Amino acid sequence: MAEHGFKVAVRIQQEDFSQDEEISALRAKSQRMGGIATFIGCARDFSEGRSVSRISFDAYGSMAEAEMSKLRAEAIAKFGLLDARIVHRVGVVGAGEQIVFIATGAEHRAPALQACHWLIDELKQRVPIWKKEITPQGESWVTSHP
Amino acid sequence: MIKVLFFGPVAERVGTNALQVEFRPGMCLQDLYQQLQHSYPAAFEIVCFTAMNGEHVRDMQLPVADSSEVVFMSKFSGG
Repeated sequence: MAEHGFKVAVRIQQEDFSQDEEISALRAKSQRMGGIATFIGCARDFSEGRSVSRISFDAYGSMAEAEMSKLRAEAIAKFGLLDARIVHRVGVVGAGEQIVFIATGAEHRAPALQACHWLIDELKQRVPIWKKEITPQGESWVTSHP
Repeated sequence: MIKVLFFGPVAERVGTNALQVEFRPGMCLQDLYQQLQHSYPAAFEIVCFTAMNGEHVRDMQLPVADSSEVVFMSKFSGG
């Protein structure tokens, strides 16, 4: 469901996302936004001493989206944000491609930056998504996430 | 029946994404956990979290209602 022609603020999707579109959607929410912070998580081509060609993501989709929506609401309340957006891809993502996008907008830079950092840390702990690294030597689920 | 779902590394070790478990009056999450742990010990070695009907659950003594959806999950690695 779109709002004013923009995609919804919290999404899990297979396809890639456009940070320009996401930031435009964020900025459309308020002209009082003085600071916008963004985080993009990408698929590294090297991990634990071996090449990684692709990463496959599995998710408990309904709960993952619900948790991401809760995180967004918590961040807006905790840091006094004007808006926030979270997008996470699932399925197979090639090395170098984008995985996750977070954008936070506030009147000033400090809460935007703090909220963005808080959101990605909380997402990793609370959102039921799992990644499997696909390497020339085989596939393995990632069990730790520093 | 209780719908039990598995994802990622737990699903791989169980060998399926979903199981149906017969509901027994009075059963709690711990009963369900132990029943499945007995059948799939390798999968439950990595189970860290439980969700029931889409919500994180920490109290394993919580009763399980018939037709519930329960998920036993390993540590997350999204992002």
